Amino acid sequence: MALELEYDRSLYGVEHKAGPFPVTLDVIKSFTMGTGETNPIFTDEDAAKAAGYSSLVAPPTLCTIFVRQVKLPDVKLKFGKSGMHAGQKVQALAPIVVGDEITASSHLKDVYAKTGRSGTMVFVVWETTFSNQNGQVVAEVQESFARRE
Amino acid sequence: MPYFEDIELGDEVGPLVIEASDEGVLAFCRVWGNDAPSRFTDAEIAKNDRFPGPILPGIMSMALMARLFTNWAGPESLKDLDLVFRQPVPHNSPLSISATITDTRQEDGENILECDVLMTGPEGQRYVGGKALVTLPSKP
Repeated sequence: MALELEYDRSLYGVEHKAGPFPVTLDVIKSFTMGTGETNPIFTDEDAAKAAGYSSLVAPPTLCTIFVRQVKLPDVKLKFGKSGMHAGQKVQALAPIVVGDEITASSHLKDVYAKTGRSGTMVFVVWETTFSNQNGQVVAEVQESFARRE
Repeated sequence: MPYFEDIELGDEVGPLVIEASDEGVLAFCRVWGNDAPSRFTDAEIAKNDRFPGPILPGIMSMALMARLFTNWAGPESLKDLDLVFRQPVPHNSPLSISATITDTRQEDGENILECDVLMTGPEGQRYVGGKALVTLPSKP
């Protein structure tokens, strides 16, 4: 029998917006330093310009750092105690370069249960669309958080 | 850079072997505004959260795994990366990232590779797994 989950279903269809987040040289350099990035398109402004970009290019998962700055509401899930970051999906749809201003719009995508050998887990999935200053969608990110019974 | 016509199903990409240092994790946490001590940067807090030591944020593991593809096929090659965080990823330990090509197809004028991607530890720990979509150019 399917588990009847108790949570705030009124959150479906509500967009939570944040930004704009300026993409500065410092943001990209800190991101690439943390990950030990060596690709010159992401680390050397002159190399990026020589390759035809207007400035330094952001690595394809940069938007994940902005997701955490969207203030998401509590889904009031009545299941389990401790949660964990279970998974993440990024779709890179257009290059992000220094000088871009990125806005985020997040919504609750799904809440569902899965039962396996170790018991039941409930997953809460948020989806965020990122757009640049021209209204172009540059990335979509899904984050899943899981709770165990 | 590889060409689409040179790829066979089952081909391997990598491994890319890297280590995330304490300083690297701290730099990464600072850039997303999470520079307060946490399970990612503080051994005591990590132990209280039942981890053996500080761990990598999931979004940092993802950034490391993306490097495998951008190093191999260029900065705009990675279209989609879908990961499951299976186990906590430690600092200061060799992380091996590799992928296997599971499908090749042409779609909407693009050459698409579908890959299984995995981050493992020195004793075969399977920390993070998932799927990636990568584009490659055709031979001129």
